[in-house]
Amino acid sequence: MKVAEKTKFIQPGTLIGKRIPKMDAPEKASGKTRYIHDIDLPGQLYGKILRSERVHARIKHIDTAAAKALPGVHAVITAADIVDQRPIGVAKDHLPLKTDKVRSLRDEVAAVAAESEQIALAALRLIKVEYEDLPILTDPAEAIKPGATLIHPEPRQPGGQDALKPSGPVAFTGKPDNIAMRFDYCHGDVVQAEAESDAVVEDTFKLHYVTHCCMGVSGMIADFDSSGNLLMYSNTQVPFLHKREFAEYLNMDPGRIRIIQPAIGGGFGSKLDIYPFEVICVFLARAAKRPVKLVFTREEEFISSPTRQPVLLTLRSGCKRDGSLTFRTVHTLHDNGAYTSWGATTPFVMMQTFSSLYRVPNCDYHTVAVYTNNPYAGSFRGYGNLQATFAVEAHMDKLAEAIGMDTLEFRLKNAQEQGEVSGQGMEFDSCGFKECLTTAAERSDFRRKFAENVKNRNAPGAIKRGVGIASMLHVGGGAKIYPSDGCGTILKLDDFGQVTLITGASEIGQGSETVLSQLVCEELGLPMSALTVVNNDTAITPWDVGVHASRTTFIAGNSALGAARLAKAKVLAAAARKFECPAEELDLRGGYVIKAASGEALIDLPRLMRNLHFSDKAELVMTTFYYEPPSSYQDKRYKGNVSAAYAWASQVVEVEVDTETGIVKMTKITAAHDVGRVLNRLGIEGQIEGGIVMGQGYALTESLIIENGVMRNPSFRDYKLVTAPEIPEIDISFIETMDGEGPQGAKGVGEAPAICVAAATANAIYNATGVRICGLPFTPERVYRALHGKGEKLYLAPEKAA
Amino acid sequence: MTEIEQYVAPSSLEQAAEYLQRSGEVTILAGGTDLMPQSQGGRLKIKRTLMNIQHIPELKGIAIDGGAIRIGALATITEIMQSELIKKHLPILIEACDHFASDQIRNAATLGGNVCNASPAGDMLVPLLVLDAEVELASKPDGGLTRRRLPLSEFFVGPGKTRRAPSELLAGLRIGLPGAHHYARFFKFGTRPALDIATISIGIAGTLNNGALSSARVAFGAVAPVPMRAPRTEQALEARRLDAATIEAVAGVARDEVTPIDDVRASAWYRKELIHNITKRMLDHVAQA
Repeated sequence: MKVAEKTKFIQPGTLIGKRIPKMDAPEKASGKTRYIHDIDLPGQLYGKILRSERVHARIKHIDTAAAKALPGVHAVITAADIVDQRPIGVAKDHLPLKTDKVRSLRDEVAAVAAESEQIALAALRLIKVEYEDLPILTDPAEAIKPGATLIHPEPRQPGGQDALKPSGPVAFTGKPDNIAMRFDYCHGDVVQAEAESDAVVEDTFKLHYVTHCCMGVSGMIADFDSSGNLLMYSNTQVPFLHKREFAEYLNMDPGRIRIIQPAIGGGFGSKLDIYPFEVICVFLARAAKRPVKLVFTREEEFISSPTRQPVLLTLRSGCKRDGSLTFRTVHTLHDNGAYTSWGATTPFVMMQTFSSLYRVPNCDYHTVAVYTNNPYAGSFRGYGNLQATFAVEAHMDKLAEAIGMDTLEFRLKNAQEQGEVSGQGMEFDSCGFKECLTTAAERSDFRRKFAENVKNRNAPGAIKRGVGIASMLHVGGGAKIYPSDGCGTILKLDDFGQVTLITGASEIGQGSETVLSQLVCEELGLPMSALTVVNNDTAITPWDVGVHASRTTFIAGNSALGAARLAKAKVLAAAARKFECPAEELDLRGGYVIKAASGEALIDLPRLMRNLHFSDKAELVMTTFYYEPPSSYQDKRYKGNVSAAYAWASQVVEVEVDTETGIVKMTKITAAHDVGRVLNRLGIEGQIEGGIVMGQGYALTESLIIENGVMRNPSFRDYKLVTAPEIPEIDISFIETMDGEGPQGAKGVGEAPAICVAAATANAIYNATGVRICGLPFTPERVYRALHGKGEKLYLAPEKAA
Repeated sequence: MTEIEQYVAPSSLEQAAEYLQRSGEVTILAGGTDLMPQSQGGRLKIKRTLMNIQHIPELKGIAIDGGAIRIGALATITEIMQSELIKKHLPILIEACDHFASDQIRNAATLGGNVCNASPAGDMLVPLLVLDAEVELASKPDGGLTRRRLPLSEFFVGPGKTRRAPSELLAGLRIGLPGAHHYARFFKFGTRPALDIATISIGIAGTLNNGALSSARVAFGAVAPVPMRAPRTEQALEARRLDAATIEAVAGVARDEVTPIDDVRASAWYRKELIHNITKRMLDHVAQA
C-alpha cells in the first residue's frame, strides 16, 4: 500500500536584493577560466604586427623578402598583398594595413604569421621599411588652423599620391581640412539668458588621455574552415554588429561568419569598435590557410588600444541671485587622433550632462573633433560624461560661491525631478537625484565639514582637508544610438527542471549572466543552481546590440524576464490542465508548482516537465522573447528621449592635500546612487566600488603621456593604476526609485560610479586650499604647481567654434 | 633577443672571477629583476656569456665581520628586511626595503644587483651612502683571487655606470657598526605607497647630540646622474643646532646642490622643490627627536 505523501508547503522567498556570488567567480578565482590566451587550435600560427616607427611619414618602400625567407614563417603581408582592403572605423577613414602613409606611431605597416611568437618577432625585424617624414601635427589647436598640414588630404584620386588600391572600394575620400566631426546643439537663447544673469563664470578645462587597462589584453583567433566559413574567437563587446561589419570589410556573406567569445578579461568600452589587428588577423589566416592567433603584449595594448577622449573644453555658465541657473555655453575641442573611432562621438553623451543634469533653460553646445597625429580615442566607461561632469560640477560650486549660496542648496534648487522633460527631450519617469544629493551629503556630514575646511584653509600645518560633492546623470535604460536597442532571449526548460538561458547579452566581467539568471529564477521560482547561461556564440544566441551604455541589466534583463514569463505561463497552463484548476490559482516556487493562495506544493517541476515531454501530445517549454525599449532615436538636433530610464548619483569625496608636496590623499567617498532597484546586492556593490576606483585613477594617478605623438609611458611602471592601499573608505547608499520600465524596477549603473569622482575631487581640493585646478589628473606636481601659482594656463582659442 | 653563446653557473667566487678574467663579454645574472626588463625592453644587450652567480656561497649572508656588517651581494631585499642584525644596527635599510618595489620583486632582487645597476633612483643606494658603505670587489688578475674596497660614494660614475672593472665581481657591501646616538632616516617620494620609482629620495644620518647632527651625512636619489652624497648640505648641517633658521638654510643649500632633470615622473623644478620641502620636514623631525 502506498503511503500518502505528506502535504508540503513552500514558503515565499525572493532572490531580488540578495547577495548572489557571481556565477563565474569560482572559475576565475581558481585560475580555470579560459581566456583567449588559453585557447589554442591545432595547426595554429602566431600573428605579429609591424607598427610604424614614425609619427607621420610617407611609406616609400617595404621590403619583406628576408622575412618571407625565414624558416617557420607562413605569411608576410602588407597593404600591397591585400587588394580588397577596405577602410574600417566609425568614419571609415582607417585602412587596417597602411598603404601610402603612416599617420601615428601605432600604425600597422606589415604583419607576419609564423609557427611561434619568437619566429614571428624575428621576421618582423627582417622587414625593412623606407619612410619619408612628413610634418607632425599633435596640437589640435594647430590642426584646426587654416593651412595646417592635412592628416587625410583629399581627394584620394586613383593613381594619385594618396591613392588607395584602385580595386579597393573606398568610402572615405579624404577631407579638405582636419575636422573629423562637428556637433552643435542648442535649446533656448543663451545670449538673452546671459543678459539676465546675476553671476556669470567661465573656465577652460583640460581632460587628459587615459586608457582602459583591461587585465586581459586584446587578442583573437581567426580560422577558416574548408568551405571558407570564418570562425573568430574574439573579445568583442558587440558580436552581432561585428559579424555584419567584418562581412563588409572582408567582402563576405555575413552568414559565413561566426563569432565565439571566450571569457573576456575586461572591456570598459575598449572592445566596441573593430580595430586593424582584428582584420589583419583574418587576412593572415586567409593568406596562411591556417588558424592564426594574435594577442597583444602589454606594451602593445597601451600603444595600440584606444584611449579615453582627451578634451579641451570652455564652459560659460550663469545664474540668478535666487540660485536658478540661466544658461550654459560649451565649446570643446576633441583631439580625434589620426583616425576616427567612438571617441569622436562622445558629444552625444556630453551634451546630455550640460543640457539636462540640472535644469538649465538655455544651453548651447559645440564640439569640433580634429585630426592629429596622436593616438585615437575610443569609447570608455562614461563615454564623455567624466569630462562633461568635471566642468559642470566645477561651475556649480563657482556659481554658488559667486551668489553666496550654500553649494548643496544651489544644487538642490536646480536638480531635476521625477516627471520632468529636459530641454534635450529626456523624460525622467523615475528620478532620485534630490535623494542622492541629500543622502550623500548627510551620510558624509558634508555641510559641517565644508564650512570647517574653508575656515581652516589658512591654519598652520601642511595638510589641508577638503570635501567636495558632484553628481551625474547617465542613461540607465539603454541608449537608442542604433535603429534597434533590443536584445533577444531563448529560454529552454529540460526534463530535470533545469533552465538554459540563451541570451544575446555578452558577459565581460560585469556580472550580467548572474543578474539575468537571477531574474529568470525569480520568475520561475527556481534556485540559481537551476540555470545554465549560453551567451557567447553568434551561431546560437539571438540578436543583441552589444555591451555598452550601461544597458545589459535593463535591456537583456527585460528580455530574459519576458521569456521567463512566457515559460511560466506555459508551465502553469500545463499544470492547470493536470490539476483541473484555473492557472491563475497556481504559481511557481521552490522548484514546485504550488497553489498560490496557500503555498501547497502540487508537483515538482521536473515531474511536470516529464509529463509534458513524454505524453502523446508532447510539448516543449522553450520560449523566445525580444525586448525593444520604449525610447526614441534622437532627431537631427540631438533631441529625443534616447533612453527608457536614467540613472542618477551623487558622490562626496574627502581629501587631504599636502601643500608641501602636492599629494592628494582620498580618505573617503560617500556615494548615493539611484539604481532603480538593487537586484544583486553583491554584484552592484562590486560594480560601484570598481567604478569609483576607476574614477579615482582618472582623478589622481592615471595619465598617458603623449609627447610629439610618442607615448612615453606604455607600461604599468609609469602608467599609474590605483593600488590597493590607496583606495579610500567607500560608503555606498542605494536609492531605490523602482523604475516603471526596468526589470523588477532596476536601472543600468555600469558606467555611473566612475563619472563624478574627478569632479568631486576637484571641488574637494578647492574646499581644502581655495585653488581651482581645471586640468587632470591631480598628480602631486600638478597640484603643487597650482598651489604655488605655477599652474597651467588653459585657453581655447575663439576659432574653436568656427 | 640576444644570441647567448654560453651560460655558466660557477659555484665559487674564484671560478666566477676566472670567467670574468678570461672574457670581458660576460653579463652577470643575480636576481634578474633589472636585467630581464632591461633586456626585454631593448635597453640592455646581454653579452655572449650569461653568468648566473646565484650558486656562489661567498656572496651570500649578512654577518658581523671585524667591526662592520657585511652584506653579501646576493642578499635579497626580503632577507635584509627580515635580518635581526639589520633591524638592530641599520634600521634605515629596513625603511628603504619597505619602499622597494613589490613583495615578489623583493624576494628575487639582490642588494648587489641594486648597487651594480647604479640607477640614480635605486632605492637602497641613498641609505647605503649615508651609512658610509664600502663595496668589496673581487677579481683574479694574475692567478690569485684579490679583493679591493672602495667607498660607495666613489663607486657610481653615471646612470648605470660604476667603477667596477669588467673583470671584477661585486662580492658584498661593508658598513661600519654605527656608534652611540647614531641617527639615520630615509624618505622616498613616489606617487604611491609602493611599486614606484622614486621621484626623489633623501637619506640623512649622523651622530645626534643636543639637537645637532655631527659627522652629518646627506644623500639624494633621482636628482643627479648618480645617487649623490651632498657635501655642501652636509657642511651646512654639520654640528649646527637645528633651529628653524638653520633648517631653512640647510634645505636651501640642498635645493641648490641637486641637479635633477625633467622626465615622465617629474620636472626638474618640482624635484628641487621636493628636495627643499622634504629635507626641511626631515630636519624638523631630527630637531624633535
